[in-house]
Amino acid sequence: MNAQLENPPETAVLELPPEVVKLAIKDLSFFYGQKQALFDVSVSFAADAVTALIGPSGCGKSTLLRVLNRMYSLYPGQRAQGQVMLDGEDMLSPRVDVATLRARVGMVFQKPTPFPMSIYDNVAYGVKLYEKLSKADMAIRVEDSLRRAALWDEVKDKLKESGLSLSGGQQQRLCVARGIAVKPEVLLLDEPASALDPISTARLEETIAELKRDYTIVIVTHNMGQAARLSDHTGFMYLGKLIEFGETEQLFTNPVTTRARDYITGRFG
Amino acid sequence: MDHTLKAVDNDLAALTYEVAAMGDLAVAQIRAAVDVFVRHDLPAAEKVVLADNAVDLQDAEIEKNAVRFIALRQPMADDLRRPIAAMKIAMQLERCGDLAKNIAKRVPRLASPPSEGQSASIAALGHMASERLAAVINAYRIDDAQGAYDVWLKDTDIDERHDAIVREIVAGMVGDTDVMADAIHLLFIAKNLERIGDHATNVAELVHYQITGTDLSNRPKL
Repeated sequence: MNAQLENPPETAVLELPPEVVKLAIKDLSFFYGQKQALFDVSVSFAADAVTALIGPSGCGKSTLLRVLNRMYSLYPGQRAQGQVMLDGEDMLSPRVDVATLRARVGMVFQKPTPFPMSIYDNVAYGVKLYEKLSKADMAIRVEDSLRRAALWDEVKDKLKESGLSLSGGQQQRLCVARGIAVKPEVLLLDEPASALDPISTARLEETIAELKRDYTIVIVTHNMGQAARLSDHTGFMYLGKLIEFGETEQLFTNPVTTRARDYITGRFG
Repeated sequence: MDHTLKAVDNDLAALTYEVAAMGDLAVAQIRAAVDVFVRHDLPAAEKVVLADNAVDLQDAEIEKNAVRFIALRQPMADDLRRPIAAMKIAMQLERCGDLAKNIAKRVPRLASPPSEGQSASIAALGHMASERLAAVINAYRIDDAQGAYDVWLKDTDIDERHDAIVREIVAGMVGDTDVMADAIHLLFIAKNLERIGDHATNVAELVHYQITGTDLSNRPKL
């Protein structure tokens, strides 16, 4: 039972003031063939803030992330319906070029995925697809990205070495550097620290905390402590629905819905 | 719903049990202190003073277990409020224990046993304070936010009774310097019981906070 309210609501979704919203999802449903994975999700993500998505495995949080940069369009039979408004423009519209979208909405995956090339080229590769930079400007971009990803000091003397030679935590921060090198507006992180040791996790979290000054960040995590530490807003999903969304402090100290409360306190059946 | 990890439920149940048991002990100490005052029983008063040590030990034990629970279980939401409330309630109960001890300490310092009227007044005030604390401990034990709220609303009657006793004692002091010292002890005893009422109110706020996550405010004051 939720003690605060006699009859707690089934869902509770905070509406953010329009002036802080960077990305607004409206009535989003998603289908893997016949199977519906998201049901009418409506939620907004604030600019220059971190939003965490939590929920049990299979609740749709990674699916939601994949819709945001149309990752699903690589797979036949998968389709989304609804709207994903980035600064007022629907990213799901066929008129929006996928490559351009992904430059605006970057993504870092659960497992580090460095390219089999040098550390330097890992960061520069994506930039070359979108921009023609001089060698000097590219060097500045690579250094800046590696610095922002809190990796520069560890790799500055071995930029020519393979990205695969780095430790797991360093590889993940390299992927973050690669993601931010193309100067996206939104950064999506799908369980970025799940394969990392506590020190690497702390470094990555510090990186994310620094990056939120300039980016809209959405992070999917199973680590409740990480969501609580890092995010400004948190959304709890269950069975393809957004059950509760609100200020992280509120959600972790006094959740409104019984489902969210049971999940974060470890009472989930 | 129970926690998936059973140890969390066990830890929380143990913590609640400890705090409630400490509350029972504090209530017993208050009743005993008032009783030894009324009977002017000096040897029994000494025992009440010594027994306060057990209340202090329970406070330390609860704090240790609450900190351990937070560190090992990393609780969230109402699970987090429980150890926080346990520590703060234990602190209030420890103060109640000190006040009971202070009442017992004053018993041998009284030059003469209290009059029938004084005994009756202090016994009545003591009864109100100890019952108030017992009621809020019961609300704590059974997670009863409404019960805590009811206790919280009521403190004014203890304040009124205390003020009436003070007026009686002060009136008795006029013109008789011999009873002055005893009267001062009586004033402190009454004040201690009134303070126990305040602590019961504080516990009520903590019980309500633990259960609902919200603070009580704007209580009617005398």
